[in-house]
Amino acid sequence: MNTTFVKTLLEPVSGLLLLAGLVLWFAGTWPLLGRRSFLHKLHYLGIADTLGSALMLLGLLLRLNREWPLLLLALLSLVVWNTIFGYVLASCS
Amino acid sequence: MARLITVALRLLIWLLLSADITLINFLIGLLVAVLLPMGRRSRPLPPQQLLASLFSSLTAIPQAYVEAIQLLLGGKALEERLESQRFMGPRSALLVFLEVFRVTITPLTIALGIEPGGRAFRVHRLAPPLPPRQVLPGGEL
Amino acid sequence: MSTAWLEPLQLGMVAALLLPILVACRNGDVWHRLAALASISTKVALLMLVVSVVRDDWMVGFVGVIVLSVGNAAVMLLAHLLRGTDR
Repeated sequence: MNTTFVKTLLEPVSGLLLLAGLVLWFAGTWPLLGRRSFLHKLHYLGIADTLGSALMLLGLLLRLNREWPLLLLALLSLVVWNTIFGYVLASCS
Repeated sequence: MARLITVALRLLIWLLLSADITLINFLIGLLVAVLLPMGRRSRPLPPQQLLASLFSSLTAIPQAYVEAIQLLLGGKALEERLESQRFMGPRSALLVFLEVFRVTITPLTIALGIEPGGRAFRVHRLAPPLPPRQVLPGGEL
Repeated sequence: MSTAWLEPLQLGMVAALLLPILVACRNGDVWHRLAALASISTKVALLMLVVSVVRDDWMVGFVGVIVLSVGNAAVMLLAHLLRGTDR
């Protein structure tokens, strides 16, 4: 019962989240190649690295692994650190 | 209040790191969290202010996805602008941290630092261009 | 649980990883390269986590979590040093 629930419902949702994260990665990293200003690139990098990676980690969490606390810790530290990192980089430049 | 939050955060990290919620491990984590040195005493913080700030930081995350889609679909039309934004409430380190987090996680705005006066942020924002100043037909000065 | 469809996903992630590597190798302003390097660090850590889920090998996953939680600190320190030398 439990495994069928995971297979039928959670796995497509997890795949969809992983794919959406990959799309955000590409869309947010592509402007790095251009010649815009540094802050403009940081706005896009925030999309790719913080929001896209958070979607991917959420997709991995939904697969209900044995080591899910580790993934939850990764999600928390990713969101906090990457956001503050963007702030530090913007204020230092 | 701030000490309680610090201890709770340390305990949460410990429990996630060890992935084990038996009583003995919980007690070890609590002991470590209490015994690790605390930061300087900050001024007391009204709890409802803290809760409101925490709530607005959490609701900024779905807002960030909405703004990401806006930026990706209509990014060409936006122009860069520097603004300053006042923050409300007392200057506590935790509140400033939450405010910086809230501003920076949304892709259309990045906090650039605190202004020398100490009551406002500099915020870099991508926004649709301002409409050109309307010239009235009468040539009014 | 089948993990076969995760193979093209990993290929896509490696392809996305090539973009910031290209930017970091290109000669340019040091701040642009720093942002690209930070992007590489996050992307490699995420790739490690996905690989560890696919292969069910948690030693790789541990390294990914450590990189995610402390890796950014080094780049932050570097940014502060660079600001000091810029002045």
